[in-house]
Amino acid sequence: MLRFVVRRLLLLIPILIGLSILVFIWVRALPGSPAEALLGERATPAAVEQLNKQYGLDKPVYEQYLNYLNQTVHFDFGLSIASRRTVAEEIKTRFPATVELALAAMLFAVVFGIPLGFFAAKYYGGIFDQSSLFLSLLGISIPIFFLGLLLKYIFAVRLGWLPTVGRIDVQRDVEHPTNFYVLDAIITRDWETLKDVLSHLILPAIALGTIPLAILSRITRASVLDVQNEDYVRTARAKGLSPIVVDRRHVLRNAMLPISTVIGLQTGLLLSGAVLTETVFAWPGVGRWLAEAIFNRDYPVLQGGILFLAIIFVLVNLVVDISYAIINPRIRYS
Amino acid sequence: MSVAELESRELELEAPSGLWRDAFSRLRRNPGAIVGFILVGLFIACAIFAPAIAPEGPDEGHLERIIQGCCPGPSKDHWFGVDQQGRDEFSRIMYGARYSLVVGVVAVSVGLSIGLVIGAMAGYIGGGTDSVLMRIMDVMLAVPGLLLAIGLVAALGQGLWQIMVAVGATQIPIFARLLRGSILSQKGNEFVVSARSVGVPRRSILVSHILPNSMAPVIVAGMLALGTAIIDVAGLGFLGLGPQDPGTPEWGTMLTDVQRYFQSAPHLALVPGAAIVVAVLGFNLIGDGMREALDPKLRGRV
Repeated sequence: MLRFVVRRLLLLIPILIGLSILVFIWVRALPGSPAEALLGERATPAAVEQLNKQYGLDKPVYEQYLNYLNQTVHFDFGLSIASRRTVAEEIKTRFPATVELALAAMLFAVVFGIPLGFFAAKYYGGIFDQSSLFLSLLGISIPIFFLGLLLKYIFAVRLGWLPTVGRIDVQRDVEHPTNFYVLDAIITRDWETLKDVLSHLILPAIALGTIPLAILSRITRASVLDVQNEDYVRTARAKGLSPIVVDRRHVLRNAMLPISTVIGLQTGLLLSGAVLTETVFAWPGVGRWLAEAIFNRDYPVLQGGILFLAIIFVLVNLVVDISYAIINPRIRYS
Repeated sequence: MSVAELESRELELEAPSGLWRDAFSRLRRNPGAIVGFILVGLFIACAIFAPAIAPEGPDEGHLERIIQGCCPGPSKDHWFGVDQQGRDEFSRIMYGARYSLVVGVVAVSVGLSIGLVIGAMAGYIGGGTDSVLMRIMDVMLAVPGLLLAIGLVAALGQGLWQIMVAVGATQIPIFARLLRGSILSQKGNEFVVSARSVGVPRRSILVSHILPNSMAPVIVAGMLALGTAIIDVAGLGFLGLGPQDPGTPEWGTMLTDVQRYFQSAPHLALVPGAAIVVAVLGFNLIGDGMREALDPKLRGRV
């Protein structure tokens, strides 16, 4: 087991180095210099020079890279050109927003996706199965931003049940010790705020969770179908166990193996890929921040932010792999 | 008989029978796939015959139509309503099909062709080449797809071609990995070993024995990738990274500003969105049907 973990950790090193080089080259390939973006096209040469010096952009390229690597290792990603706050600080407030949204979306996907897939497999070939298959196909065919707009139109604009944008009512002035608003509200026992925060969370979570829901229901269905025909399930039935016990103890438990991997991988994807949902719902997370940074040519944000997200993504995948090896002994030794 | 002759005979024998014809006949009996073919057929027909079907040009603005507020909804004259500049929405959707189709096909071709070359090299040559190529693919996969595409568009500049290349690039590692895995599983097969033992050159083993047998999953993935590409391109358009001329009737771009008209003109959001869903659903239905048809494990079941 330990060998497996160590080997996987060592494999991370070339990926992370490759990634840092990729991001570094990419940022420099962007058209327009940061000085230009910040000072405008009519900036004096002296001002440009001073800015370049301030951000270390006047040094040779390899030195800039080594500098960047050194800072990254120390979690010092520099100052955001646009907001003048440190990138680390921005990540500290924005990443919790993204995590909260991703977890809520995943919760939605798991709560609805797994039962949907399970019952589809139980009634294999029937109407329920067919319609759940079609629904899941529809789920992966809807662009996430269109679904977001649709939900917003129906539930926020037409029915007025839920708020349209943001994480919290702008007039609500409360402390956020952890920046996880749901958690904050629970810690401070502020139930009014909790209600407000949750109502802001529902629509974006549904929009973001639909694709994982569709994927989960399909994987669950396929996995349950596979397990259902195993010998041990037949044996369990033959010895007279009640169907519910067979389903719970023998079918679902074994079917959960591939399902849990998919949950993990999808969570990694959600943590890093919510640009569109965050844009539609003006959610102050990392996805939208990075998209804006591209428009603003905010070099430090791009260098730090994308690397940060990619590291998170790679780490989540690693955790998924390791936990899979823990659940499934067959993987460990191959 | 020479090896070459043997090979050509084998190919002849393979062609008419076997996997593909079987798969096709199963595909024809799959209702989902048929619906998919109809949707995609409709989509392609709209794209090709847009000038003949559309009553107006895609950028013909008639401001007199929106004098009484934005924007008149569907009516007898304008089936899908009128947009914020007085243009006929139906015509714009028809012309938009062209962009989505071209963009989808080009993006997938970029990703598929480069991905296949990399995957084939990695899978067949193996060793150091394999490790280096696959590590590069790992790095590409470590950046979430849409972010990678956004980043590439930012570096390449705005525009339709840039979007296509960017979206295609995000699909390279997917195809590369898929083909590599598929080739690796074919490599140990008896027909490959026997071709080798009679001295067939490596390249022709790859081209005429391994590749044809490894292609099934790639084709299915390609079909599904068309849907993904259309969605991704629309997403980039929605973020404002699409064609530089904002009048271009690209479906995603058409959705960019619609929130301002939610109250008075919801059709501006519903119509282009529904168009994307229909096109993508079509490709996904076909891809799904193909996967079922080509998967020998599922043969008995349906």
